[in-house]
Amino acid sequence: MLRNNGRLVARSFSMILIAIVLSTVVFQLSGYSAGEAISGFIQGAITGPGALMSTVRWAVPLAVVGVGVVLSFRAGFFNVGAQGQLYVGAIAAAAIGPVVPGPGFVKVAVAMVCAALAGMLWSLIAAWLKTSTGADEVLTTLMLNFIGTLLLQYVTNGPLRDLSGSGQVASAPPLGSEMRITGSSGVSAVNIALVLAVLVGAWLIVNRTTFGLSSTIVGRNAQVATRQGVNSRSVIWVTFGLSGALAGVAGAFEVLGPTGRLIQGFSPDVGFTGILVALVAGLTIAGVAFAALFFGALAAAIQFLPIVTNLPTSALEILQGLVALLITAKLRARWKRRSRPDSPPAREESNAGNDPAVAAPPPVGDGAP
Amino acid sequence: MKPALESRSVTKRFGDFTAIDSVSLAFEPGKVHAVVGQNGAGKTTFSRLICGLYEPSAGEILLDGSPLRAGDIRSTREQGVDMVHQNFSLPPSFTVAEALELFDDNSKPLMSRAALERKWNAALDRHGSPINVRKRVRDLSVETRQSLEIIRALEGHPKVLILDEPTAVLAPPEVQSLFERVHRLRDSGLTILIILHKLSEVFAVADTVSVLREGAVTLATTPIRDVTAQEITQHIIGPDTNLPQIATEVRGIAHSHEQPTAPPAKTPVMALSHISAAAGQSDRALDDVSLTIHSGEILGIAGVEGNGQETLLDILSGHQRSESGSMHLLGEDVTKASTLDRRRKGVRFVPSDRNAQGISLTTSLWENISLTDLLIEGTRWFSPRARKAVALEKLGTWKVRYRNPEQLAGELSGGNVQRVILSRELGTGTRLVIAGNPTRGLDLAATAFVRASLSALADDGVAVIVVSADLDEVRDISNRICVLRGGRIVADLPGGASITEIGSAMVGGDNA
Repeated sequence: MLRNNGRLVARSFSMILIAIVLSTVVFQLSGYSAGEAISGFIQGAITGPGALMSTVRWAVPLAVVGVGVVLSFRAGFFNVGAQGQLYVGAIAAAAIGPVVPGPGFVKVAVAMVCAALAGMLWSLIAAWLKTSTGADEVLTTLMLNFIGTLLLQYVTNGPLRDLSGSGQVASAPPLGSEMRITGSSGVSAVNIALVLAVLVGAWLIVNRTTFGLSSTIVGRNAQVATRQGVNSRSVIWVTFGLSGALAGVAGAFEVLGPTGRLIQGFSPDVGFTGILVALVAGLTIAGVAFAALFFGALAAAIQFLPIVTNLPTSALEILQGLVALLITAKLRARWKRRSRPDSPPAREESNAGNDPAVAAPPPVGDGAP
Repeated sequence: MKPALESRSVTKRFGDFTAIDSVSLAFEPGKVHAVVGQNGAGKTTFSRLICGLYEPSAGEILLDGSPLRAGDIRSTREQGVDMVHQNFSLPPSFTVAEALELFDDNSKPLMSRAALERKWNAALDRHGSPINVRKRVRDLSVETRQSLEIIRALEGHPKVLILDEPTAVLAPPEVQSLFERVHRLRDSGLTILIILHKLSEVFAVADTVSVLREGAVTLATTPIRDVTAQEITQHIIGPDTNLPQIATEVRGIAHSHEQPTAPPAKTPVMALSHISAAAGQSDRALDDVSLTIHSGEILGIAGVEGNGQETLLDILSGHQRSESGSMHLLGEDVTKASTLDRRRKGVRFVPSDRNAQGISLTTSLWENISLTDLLIEGTRWFSPRARKAVALEKLGTWKVRYRNPEQLAGELSGGNVQRVILSRELGTGTRLVIAGNPTRGLDLAATAFVRASLSALADDGVAVIVVSADLDEVRDISNRICVLRGGRIVADLPGGASITEIGSAMVGGDNA
């Protein structure tokens, strides 16, 4: 399994390399200097002043969201609602944390737990709709993102609005320093330790627990799993709950960390980029750590690039888009089949009852090795 | 006579595995040619090479003396070779007319529904088929779907038609009518290649027989009157082994399992009373089924496919709930018990669709084997190392041919997959085994193995229910046979019941 995972991650990173090459071609053709873009990227993500810090700062929430996405995608549930769950978690942390009596660490702990619960509840709405009405989770979680975004807009303009603030962007009052887990750099021992704990915990769940194995097999073939005695309904609830809770925690990380207050429309891409992180990671927890760093580097560079070159931020969005495209298209699998007609066609497992692809080779015969 | 189809030293490699090794076979036109062999012998790979789905790694295939351009089923279809796959290719959600149009190379881009239905109604009439073109493919019976697949192929006017294990999904009377049809097609000049498992079927339908073993030819297109069943079997299995030997060896394996001390003979293990249930997937509803199975008994459930077998299996396994009636397992009410509860009480399942229900093809062998035990034990955390060791032991006991426990289940042949499932299901603490079509699509040795394993379990006091569309199978191993028709048990016969007796109950003869 380790070897398989290794191959998956290697494939993802070769896709990233191709995306980088392709996007430099695009830059060059659009009249920008590709060399400048690459050096700008390296400066913004690694070598520039505070660049590495900035990379890690963005990798933190991406890793937490990415782990949640891995858990739900592995079980075959396409929870794409991390952004909404993240906002709801952030709102809970910012609203409840400050009113908790006691020392700072108690406030932080309560805020974290509340953020997790809020994110969990938000995603359980989708789980409930799925188990009770069969509503497709892609649709419901996506819609809940919009509601989450609007809820944040309402809260920052209404109940939690910082009236003393003069900024054009609505926000809640800044949190006291005793409630901050990081400074404005977004990196501290506390949040790094928490991220590592999340990664290790999730790795254990996926690789060492019966629940992890059950949900993986539910994701690959639900019929097989339920016939073994897996309760697929409880797998739905738990995976949705866990992935929502993690997105909520990521929201708390932002509010209690670098942003330091609840701001309307903060970190607008983390929830979606987290899905990319999970996909690039090949839905493995170990892969998430690397993928989060890569996308963290991209996010850091996006902010830095316009300062040193005349490249617009959309340049890096092109790169990010290309990565998404290449990863999801599984281009390499196609190439492999083309160039080596000797390899047997990939067998995709379908849950019984789905239409087999027209004229596709029958999935299993007796001739394959 | 010049062969209609010829393969010259055709070799097919998948990576470093040689599935077909320098196969040279020539098939004369206007005859029925059977190709037989064990699972993994390369029959399906060979047929896919001929129909253009695979390209040979070496060698060439000649159609009427000129090389076949391979690598693309569409162009091979135009050249005159078509295949009816074991797993049907017509999309289930399409209507019959839509599905047929999809495969028509002269399909017009725009066509009214009425014109479409007229066109295919006429085509079906030409083939003497009463199928309604407006019906959805998924609502057709298996036999009708197969018949439709054959019509689909015939509409392309092939010179050579390949049928890949067409009898695996049919009941005996259906097999009979399929063979009659094959003979009619042959008499009209078509060359037919038919892949088969049962020797009786080879003798019933074929003009020549070829045998593949481990990817190589051991018997090349020999006229059927020149060989005996014994000889063919020898060619299939190889020179050093014979069937009785395998069977004895198998009994040893199955008996080597630790079993709980046998409960006193003839205790009721599972009792269904007045069970009614809604129709499961493309199957019939159950109507007031009462049934008791005792320890040490092998109860065969015979019936034409689609008469409630799948629903019965789902009800027994707890996958589906009954609407009324009750079920008792060893005296305990399990009507509402979950699948896991039933497993914990000693019920084991060998699902009727191995690849869709029995095993996750994209998951490693050890994970596939471990999940059941983990769930039954209620273990939350596990050590992969320990679980792999247990899985290795099971794979070894059941003589599964595999490379390593990390291997994906989908890489194994059908017979080996079934062995993996048995190794997982038939461990300690088994009280009742519910098996659906346990030997469907398996070769002689694997079939013998599975049947011997089930008999051995029964000898140890386990109750066994075998639901099978294969009448020979039911008769071979059961000591009691119930017939399911229209969702009801219409006959309860002793194990020695004659084929006509069971057959007439299946199709609704005198006791309808």
